[in-house]
Amino acid sequence: MHEMSLAIQAIRSVLDFADENGIDAIDTVVLEIGELSLVVPEYMEEAWNAACRSTMLERARLRIDVTPGNGLCQGCGKVYNIVENRGTCPYCGSREKEILCGREFNIKELLVPE
Amino acid sequence: MLRTIEIKQSIFADNDRDADALRSELREKGVFLLNLMSSPGSGKTTTLVKTIAALQNELRIGVIEADIDSDVDAHTVQRAGAKAIQLHTGGMCHLTADMTRQGVEALGVEDVDLAILENVGNLVCPAEFDTGAAKNAMILSVPEGHDKPLKYPLMFEVCDVMLINKIDVLPYFDFDLDKVREYALKRNPKLELIPISAKTGEGIDKWCDWLRREVRAWQNR
Repeated sequence: MHEMSLAIQAIRSVLDFADENGIDAIDTVVLEIGELSLVVPEYMEEAWNAACRSTMLERARLRIDVTPGNGLCQGCGKVYNIVENRGTCPYCGSREKEILCGREFNIKELLVPE
Repeated sequence: MLRTIEIKQSIFADNDRDADALRSELREKGVFLLNLMSSPGSGKTTTLVKTIAALQNELRIGVIEADIDSDVDAHTVQRAGAKAIQLHTGGMCHLTADMTRQGVEALGVEDVDLAILENVGNLVCPAEFDTGAAKNAMILSVPEGHDKPLKYPLMFEVCDVMLINKIDVLPYFDFDLDKVREYALKRNPKLELIPISAKTGEGIDKWCDWLRREVRAWQNR
């Protein structure tokens, strides 16, 4: 499963970061996933829960912030949501666009006990 | 009380760093690593066998076969005359730079000019993970349909060259070569397209010209 590979990669990155920065407890991991990133957040959660077993993240919560898939229309210069409008500009009907955001797959932040 | 530590790091950052390190090591050694990607059944192994036959007197070729399980492909490639190893991904749908490094080390590249990594058959995940290869290639075969660049855009964006395989069966399919070219180039204007038939050998000469040119350019850098 696609999400499983990504979950494993993300968990590895978080564990490395924790190790390098002397963090020994994590309450919440916040991922930032774009609407255009080919990742399904629900599947990501399942994969995450399976992949973090017997790591320090086993008890940590996962929060996923979804960023919108916005495009800049090359026809009329307006910004619109690509997913909601199925890739076609709602103002002028052009399909030509520059993707502004929505492809992210970031580890956004960690919430750790003080 | 909780404290927030901002990271804002792409989950691909670690892999990208590993990939860059592997790429520069291979450049030092004069080894051109090609990452070959496609769907299952597009003819990767058959294309490799033809490629090895055409180039084995000019280039020293090594092949890393990645599969979830089985080693049928490595045996096929070895019979064709190239050194080959099988890398099992253990269920993973793609290769990371770290797994690629393990493959490169297991193969041994001291006596290799052209190392070909046959990635897991899949048009999604392999496109997201930089393996450390010098160039990325993909095979799209005629039965898969000409709409694939629309459905799997990232794969077409990350590749340098795209082979359109099984052109010997074009008369039997509604596959439009002009359309696939249009869709693919829209995703990636720098993509080179080479129609081939691994079965009949058509177009393999052009593909081998591309490989010769790229290996030479890499080694003379």
